[in-house]
Amino acid sequence: MVRALGPASVSSLLKIILDVVYAALWIGFVALGLMTLAALLLSLNPDLLADITLTAGGEEIRGRGPVVAGGLFAATLYTGGVLVIVDRLRRIFSTLTAGDPFHPDNVTRLRVVGLMLAMLEVGRYGVWAASAWLLPGSNEVEPNLSLTAWFSVLVVFVLAEVFREGARLRREAELTI
Amino acid sequence: MPIRVLLDRVLLERRMSLTELADRVGVTIANLSILKTGKARAVRFSTLAALCRELDCQPGDLLYYEPGPADDLDEDEPG
Repeated sequence: MVRALGPASVSSLLKIILDVVYAALWIGFVALGLMTLAALLLSLNPDLLADITLTAGGEEIRGRGPVVAGGLFAATLYTGGVLVIVDRLRRIFSTLTAGDPFHPDNVTRLRVVGLMLAMLEVGRYGVWAASAWLLPGSNEVEPNLSLTAWFSVLVVFVLAEVFREGARLRREAELTI
Repeated sequence: MPIRVLLDRVLLERRMSLTELADRVGVTIANLSILKTGKARAVRFSTLAALCRELDCQPGDLLYYEPGPADDLDEDEPG
């Protein structure tokens, strides 16, 4: 019988996976940050970027250093958002691994996850709008309202309240003699 | 909490220490301290029965109602 909570359980396995993903995201975040910085610096000297070619929607975009830097910056922010989510999930799963799912801190962690999911979704619309304005014709696909994403946000917020109630009951149980 | 626990008074009358009571009742000293200092949120009937048995008293000897605002458990929570 596979256990869901506690040491040597599914939770601990997921915690290890999240740790690996977290480390990879940090590397990606730093790399994207450096690339953004490099693109920004290079964009100040257009001659250096003359040979850089991007393909978007069948059209070539040449010498758009600031746009590239902006795109990289958006990707960095997105990675940062995912990083925050994975970090909070890691912390939640460490409490699950310890067999203490209703730790009071998990409420705030889940709320942060829900907030970041919402911000990433809003950011997606923002990036689409910005790219449609800066690179006309490059965005042929409309940014349809993702019901799955918003449903996930609501579910996470509801789960945060469930955990808040669980934490309250845990505290009550602790003070029941 | 409007319910006051008079455990210390009963212990004094019985000349019994908290450690001895904890041993007899089978509750940890830490938990009995929580009860004695009025920080407990609830008392199990089984605990109350054991306390009454060992202290040879009635529940009314241990608990006292004093009108006042009920504590909100959420306020006790850290963070």
